[in-house]
Amino acid sequence: MSETKQYIQTLLAQKNISLIKGRETVFEEFTKDESNILAVKQIQENQKMMLDKWILQNRISDIIDTQIIIPNSTVGKPYLAAIDFSRLGMNDLSYTEFESLDQYGLEYNNETESITGTPTKSGDFKIKMKFRVNGENEDSDLHEKLISLIINADPKSLWKDIPSDADRDEDWKLKNFWKPDNVTDFQPLGEKHIVVSSKRGRSHANVGSFRDDDFAFKELEGTGWSIVSVADGAGSASLARLGSKLACEFVVKHFEENFRGETILQLDDLIASNHQSQDETKQKDLDLFLYNSIGKAAFSIHKSLQDYADRLEVPLKDLHTTLIFVLLKKYSFGYAILSFGVGDCPIGLLNKDMTEIKLMNWLDVGEFGGGTRFITMPEIFSSSKFATRLGFKVIEDFSYLMLMTDGIYDPKFVVEANLEKLESWTKFLNDLYGENESHNVVQLIAKNVELPKQLSEWMDFWSSGNHDDRTLAIVF
Amino acid sequence: MRRLPVYLLLDTSGSMSGEPIEAVKNGVQVMISSLRQNPQAIETAFISVITFDTSANQIIPLTDLASFQMVDIKATGVTALGDALKLVATKIDSEVQKTTPDQKGDWKPLVFIMTDGIPTDNWQNGLVEFKKRKTAFVVACAAGAGADTSILKQITDNVVSLDTADSTSIAKFFQWVTASIGVSSTKVEDSGKEVQGLNELPPPPSELNIVV
Repeated sequence: MSETKQYIQTLLAQKNISLIKGRETVFEEFTKDESNILAVKQIQENQKMMLDKWILQNRISDIIDTQIIIPNSTVGKPYLAAIDFSRLGMNDLSYTEFESLDQYGLEYNNETESITGTPTKSGDFKIKMKFRVNGENEDSDLHEKLISLIINADPKSLWKDIPSDADRDEDWKLKNFWKPDNVTDFQPLGEKHIVVSSKRGRSHANVGSFRDDDFAFKELEGTGWSIVSVADGAGSASLARLGSKLACEFVVKHFEENFRGETILQLDDLIASNHQSQDETKQKDLDLFLYNSIGKAAFSIHKSLQDYADRLEVPLKDLHTTLIFVLLKKYSFGYAILSFGVGDCPIGLLNKDMTEIKLMNWLDVGEFGGGTRFITMPEIFSSSKFATRLGFKVIEDFSYLMLMTDGIYDPKFVVEANLEKLESWTKFLNDLYGENESHNVVQLIAKNVELPKQLSEWMDFWSSGNHDDRTLAIVF
Repeated sequence: MRRLPVYLLLDTSGSMSGEPIEAVKNGVQVMISSLRQNPQAIETAFISVITFDTSANQIIPLTDLASFQMVDIKATGVTALGDALKLVATKIDSEVQKTTPDQKGDWKPLVFIMTDGIPTDNWQNGLVEFKKRKTAFVVACAAGAGADTSILKQITDNVVSLDTADSTSIAKFFQWVTASIGVSSTKVEDSGKEVQGLNELPPPPSELNIVV
């Protein structure tokens, strides 16, 4: 049976027209008519064409509906997103291009089938992929598919730097216990030198709030002793900036008033005799002395802070601050170093040839972040661990004695355990010497007049998620 | 670096289909875009999305904001809130780092729960597990009249409700979640302290009723 005849028969059947008996010959003639044969052929061709077109259309819609996910990018960070078309089941793409990627600083590489470049502007965008699939004419219109492109802002660009005293007068500063956002100092300290930089963190700069860190140091005249103190006011305390400042000042004041006369003569004796020969009794006497003098000092600072809070008629917790301090004196046999610490700020002592690190204090860190202790908490004095907050060490000489707040320790040492590792300190020193992203060099030598500036610049290092106030005091 | 983990527990049961689920999807999108503009949030906040319908699924593991991409969610099935609480408990165990001598601990996680219905599973079992985990705070949102605030009150003290689960109200809820994450990340960075409860969060907009 001819194809034409079969087609017409099916058509008639679809239309419910039956062939009347006796008309078979007429029908046979009809199906052999040239014009009818042609018509059927054309119909079949058109049907095939339409079918093919629909299949193609369907395929294009599939491609448009299939989600292509590309990784997020960041302004200023080199970006490469390879699009795995075969994994997406899109092997039948005969042509692809992306429209106007250059406005984001990106381009599409047809060879590697990837989007590359360094993004220049941030935002949530839809980029247009234009494509053609196999089976389409080379000059046919391109189809469009939208793909989400997220470009994050450069985190550094999101931070603002608002001075804490912007448009404020002296009266306001006084009433609000204002202090400078950044402070640097460089002085002789006994036979050593001290350089300190204390900087307001980006999180405070971003909203124009105060620096909560503070420091103080002093050579206690006529005693041979020097004192260095660093404090970090609790961000949650409304007067933290004042708490840390007072704590440091009170430390200096307390020892100026109490570290003299008989007291230091007695201490000199105890240290000297302990150095000559060690026995249990001598050690006990020294421990007792330290407990009574340094421990008492810590408590007196707590009391002074309490008195100050009372005068201001604010709760003591408004002045919450951590506190570390060291006293150092040079003897004929070496340096004696006394220390005290509450909170999460470390005191590190590096020996002369930098082969040993002594961490003078342990840190108050909680199971989760933020579980520190403050000098303003009465419970620290009644704790059985109180005596362990005191530190004592005699060392022939030292290269560096460093006191720092967690704004330095968190990014540079990360965890407490690293503070006892020499390699962490070596790395830290190399960082100071210039092995850092910004190539800032801090030359820790006494005659370096640029030192304060160098340290201050170094302190601006970028560390993601670490934008606390930073204070670093180095005795060398 | 200490991360601030945020868990979003979203009801994707059948009753959420249509406007509510679209509003939730949109709410998460807008929230992420907006938090990306906050320097503290983009560096500290890590977000996870757990959906619950007939069962609970973590559709997005704890992910930093910069690489976060929302996935499509569909509303179907019933309301396995208990399963979701159980799942978030195990995810807190596996994803939130504790401070040890060798690693820096994360901040305590924030948990936001949004539901428009009554749990269909044994939610008390899930709650027992969930309560064993440390969180900074948990906020539960009853979206529309179908939710039972008294059940949510047993999960957390911080319960808010929306009169209707329409797109405007849901959008307002997510705006407030956004502000709350912003405040929390600023607070942990600034003061080293977590936000403890509703009173330390930004005041909720008028569309959110605080359930006492």
